[in-house]
Amino acid sequence: MKLTILFGGASFEHEISIVSAITLREKLSTYELSFIFCDQDHKFYLIDSSKMKANTFSKGEHKNMPQVSLTNGYFEQKSMFGSTKHAGVVLNLIHGADGEDGTIASLLDFYDIKYIGPRVDSSVFSYDKRYTKWLCAAKKIKTIEYEVLSSNEHKNINMSYPIIVKPARLGSSIGVSIVKEESELDYALDVAFEFDKSVIIEPFMCGIKEYNLAGFMAKGEFHFSIIEEPQKNEFLDFEKKYMDFSRSESVSKAELNSNIEMKLKSTFEKIYKNLFEGALIRCDFFVLNSEVYLNEINPIPGSMANYLFNDFEASLELLASSLPTQRRAKTNYDYIHSISKAKGK
Amino acid sequence: MALKSLQYNQHTFDISYEILNPEAPIDLIILPGWGSNKELMKGSFAPYMDTFRHIYIDLPGFGKSTSSVALETKDYARIVELFMIHINASKDIILGHSFGGKVALLLEPKVLVLVGSTGIRVAKPLKIQAKIAIYKLFKLLGLKKLRSLFVAEDAKSLSEPMYQTFKNVVDEDLSDDFRSSNAKTLLCWGDKDTATPLSIAHTMQKLLSDSTLKIYDGDHYFFMKHAKEVSQEIENVFLQTLEHK
Repeated sequence: MKLTILFGGASFEHEISIVSAITLREKLSTYELSFIFCDQDHKFYLIDSSKMKANTFSKGEHKNMPQVSLTNGYFEQKSMFGSTKHAGVVLNLIHGADGEDGTIASLLDFYDIKYIGPRVDSSVFSYDKRYTKWLCAAKKIKTIEYEVLSSNEHKNINMSYPIIVKPARLGSSIGVSIVKEESELDYALDVAFEFDKSVIIEPFMCGIKEYNLAGFMAKGEFHFSIIEEPQKNEFLDFEKKYMDFSRSESVSKAELNSNIEMKLKSTFEKIYKNLFEGALIRCDFFVLNSEVYLNEINPIPGSMANYLFNDFEASLELLASSLPTQRRAKTNYDYIHSISKAKGK
Repeated sequence: MALKSLQYNQHTFDISYEILNPEAPIDLIILPGWGSNKELMKGSFAPYMDTFRHIYIDLPGFGKSTSSVALETKDYARIVELFMIHINASKDIILGHSFGGKVALLLEPKVLVLVGSTGIRVAKPLKIQAKIAIYKLFKLLGLKKLRSLFVAEDAKSLSEPMYQTFKNVVDEDLSDDFRSSNAKTLLCWGDKDTATPLSIAHTMQKLLSDSTLKIYDGDHYFFMKHAKEVSQEIENVFLQTLEHK
């Protein structure tokens, strides 16, 4: 299968995206892959597959590679004598800002390029943890209680310690801390405010069970990964998660009863349906007293959660063959014509 | 890392900082030099002095801290002081490198650690004096465009307010402040320092009432290679302050 991997982006998770792309190059070895890198200045570069190494980007070598730009239906590589088309399905692998906030989705939709990844509306609900809570409330999905704090307004919290502090709009555990007592709160908030003006806090429940489930809908049916119970020591910190993004080994299935498994899958479907079509997402859940709570939605999971799928290449191909098509309004100027006629012009 | 917004003189400053050993009872504030950042300082000192709470700060206008107005050295001191109140830090030990040293002095800590610090005016070398004279002549002739050939390395690529700040702080002489300082002071210097030559340290020693000078092999950034020794000296000096009581 032909696939263009779009990665990088002006995001705190820029480097994670590079690691993800390098991992997928290995995992999709039977595909005919091309790589387009979005640098921090929003320039696109076509990266030679053999140069897909972390150093290429840290040393700025990508700047010597051909630049491409978006045009209707494809990425275009202009040269002295005309231009080359880079058409085909794009995999949006930009984590965090740009990729998951709807920017890239808008761009690809606007230029009529088919892509795997969240659309604009689903990006809005998954990128900001506050809006994920609203979505869940509307869909009657349980989430952990929370409060919102903002960097430009001081307010007391009504929650007992320990709590977990998260920037509203970041994944990958960046800026996340666990606060055991009040004296630690101020610093934890400042750490989160470095990344976002809005922060959410939740009670930190030691010993709560955590399960990750990835999946997508294709040809009208849901396709799920195995359910994983992530390893955690207290919680996945940035370093660990970072390692997580380059994961490629398959994991063993979590031991859980079929009732919980059913609940996890049906919750996933509730979230996904009529919103996330076209994307392979990973939902992170908590389970407490046989109740399922949604923790977060990763609409572009690290390395596309390849390690959770038995046959990742086939899964992705299935999804690529079932991407949503856009409906675009056709303008044929009927209205103006009719007025013009009425006026006899 | 962390970010705190402060109001000072009707302006907002975002101060980027990082705290290590949050449980430690003694505070060690570390201020980088002009154009430098907390990561450089942290890279040197983080592995040592674990009985101190390390507080690394990017000074306004540098690293990830912001400043949209021109400042003077005393403004820097007031902003750091204000920041310290916000994070509930005490002035046990303040270490400043280069320009950060001047700021540290004005903060009047119990233990002052000056690492290749500025604050004493030294006569400009002839070469620099000539450069200034030539540029002033060019300016008269309307050749202002050639400024980039003459401007100091530290002032290049500075925003307008930061260039004004640079002019405010560059040739300052704080001899009076050194003379009136009661801090127990540790001076650490590189013997091959050309930015702040060793003679500055000797002058400071004469002015300060209670100081020790330690000289190391290296230039203005000698501490990057001697962080362990410097850290041990700081611990020793701090222990001495306890004995006095």
